[in-house]
Amino acid sequence: MQKIKQLNLKGHLLTAISYLIPIVCGAGFMIAIGMAFGGEPSTDLLAGSYSIWDVLAVIGGLGLGMLPVVISTGISYSIAEKPGIAPGFIIGLLARTIEAGFIGGILGGFVAGYLVIGILRFLKVPAWAKGLMPTLIIPLLSTFLGGLIMIYVIGTPITLFTDALTNLLNGLGSSSLLIFGAVVGLLSGVDYGGPINKTVFAFVLTLQAEGLNGPITALQLVNTATPIGFGLAFFVAKLFGKTIYSPVEIETLKTAVPMGVVNIVEGVIPIVMNDIFRGVFATAVGGAVGGAVSMSLGADATVPFGGVLMIPTMSRPMAGILALLANIVVTAVVLALIKKNVTEESINAQLDAEEEDIDLGDIQIS
Amino acid sequence: MKIVGVAACTVGIAHTYIAQEKLENAAKKAGYDIHVETQGTIGIENKLTQEQIDAADVVILAVDVKISGRERFEGKKIVQVPTEVAVKSPNKLIQKVTEVVEAQ
Repeated sequence: MQKIKQLNLKGHLLTAISYLIPIVCGAGFMIAIGMAFGGEPSTDLLAGSYSIWDVLAVIGGLGLGMLPVVISTGISYSIAEKPGIAPGFIIGLLARTIEAGFIGGILGGFVAGYLVIGILRFLKVPAWAKGLMPTLIIPLLSTFLGGLIMIYVIGTPITLFTDALTNLLNGLGSSSLLIFGAVVGLLSGVDYGGPINKTVFAFVLTLQAEGLNGPITALQLVNTATPIGFGLAFFVAKLFGKTIYSPVEIETLKTAVPMGVVNIVEGVIPIVMNDIFRGVFATAVGGAVGGAVSMSLGADATVPFGGVLMIPTMSRPMAGILALLANIVVTAVVLALIKKNVTEESINAQLDAEEEDIDLGDIQIS
Repeated sequence: MKIVGVAACTVGIAHTYIAQEKLENAAKKAGYDIHVETQGTIGIENKLTQEQIDAADVVILAVDVKISGRERFEGKKIVQVPTEVAVKSPNKLIQKVTEVVEAQ
């Protein structure tokens, strides 16, 4: 386990995702706008007759089609820095071509990156050949070996696996969709953009790259609804004659709610930290409801980011709106019910609240 | 004590800046001098100068992703944590960092 942790596989994946997100957003919005006005992403721009919407759809489609390449290059770069870019790019392109998809891109990136590291570590060249290492030996060897591994070793199983997964999820009945949505929603709701949320994000982003927009939509709607639910809880609690937030928390909410509207869930973290158990419980329940509604009604944003801005990109915008509302209301009502009334004393007690202990395993000192 | 740091999270729009703020507040509370560079989606902000790095006793990296310019800290004492730790327990982190530096 310790060895695996040192490899930091997740860190490399997250680094690649951080490069990927702006590409998905740029391309995703282009294709969504283009298709909303009747554009067709498979238009042949050389044929001469096309509308501006066709152009937008083509641009978006091209960008989204490159995701296996982007993730592969990103991972390989994260592992091996600059020498990782070339093999990561080519092997990612190969994964895309043989339809090993996003999962192929992820594995290809790891293969490319570690090949470069391996070559650097084990291949010693005489001094006169030093200049050949970055320009010839590393790109050639890593691309050669990585390409063969992709085609002859991992390509076929990944393609089979991806197809099986996609078919399975496409074939889910309404009750399974409900459960799947609830699980995605629950997991996204518990750590406010933290590691669990990002792990689920990586998984559902993979599904989206395979053409399944539902799961990622559920996740992002939950992330959007959570902070708004915290805001609404203030008013719901007032109905019950309760004050559930301290003045400082109310100030925090004034920025956290607008941030939530555009899909940034992290704004509520300071409030949750003050009352972690009740906060997490409320968002988990709300998230499960929101996720379940989103998946079972078929909310399917083509853009995996943007909060309410995702709604126009869905083929059923009402599904997205209903999921958001359900999630917001449930989170708000649960919070209003279970949070304690705030008094002078409890505010002071909160200020002295103990911080969570640091897990020493999280710290690396060098 | 003088501290320099870098904060960078996956999406690069929220945790990065929360971590920066928490670290700055916690360090100031402890009476330390701190500069935290952010590497968000928008790129590098509040970039550390070479003088700041040279003068620092310790480097805190609150990062979930690969950062650029890590080689600037070569030879320095580096404490690396996920952004999560800086966000949730900034004061404890600073305290831990103090122990690390004093143990030298």
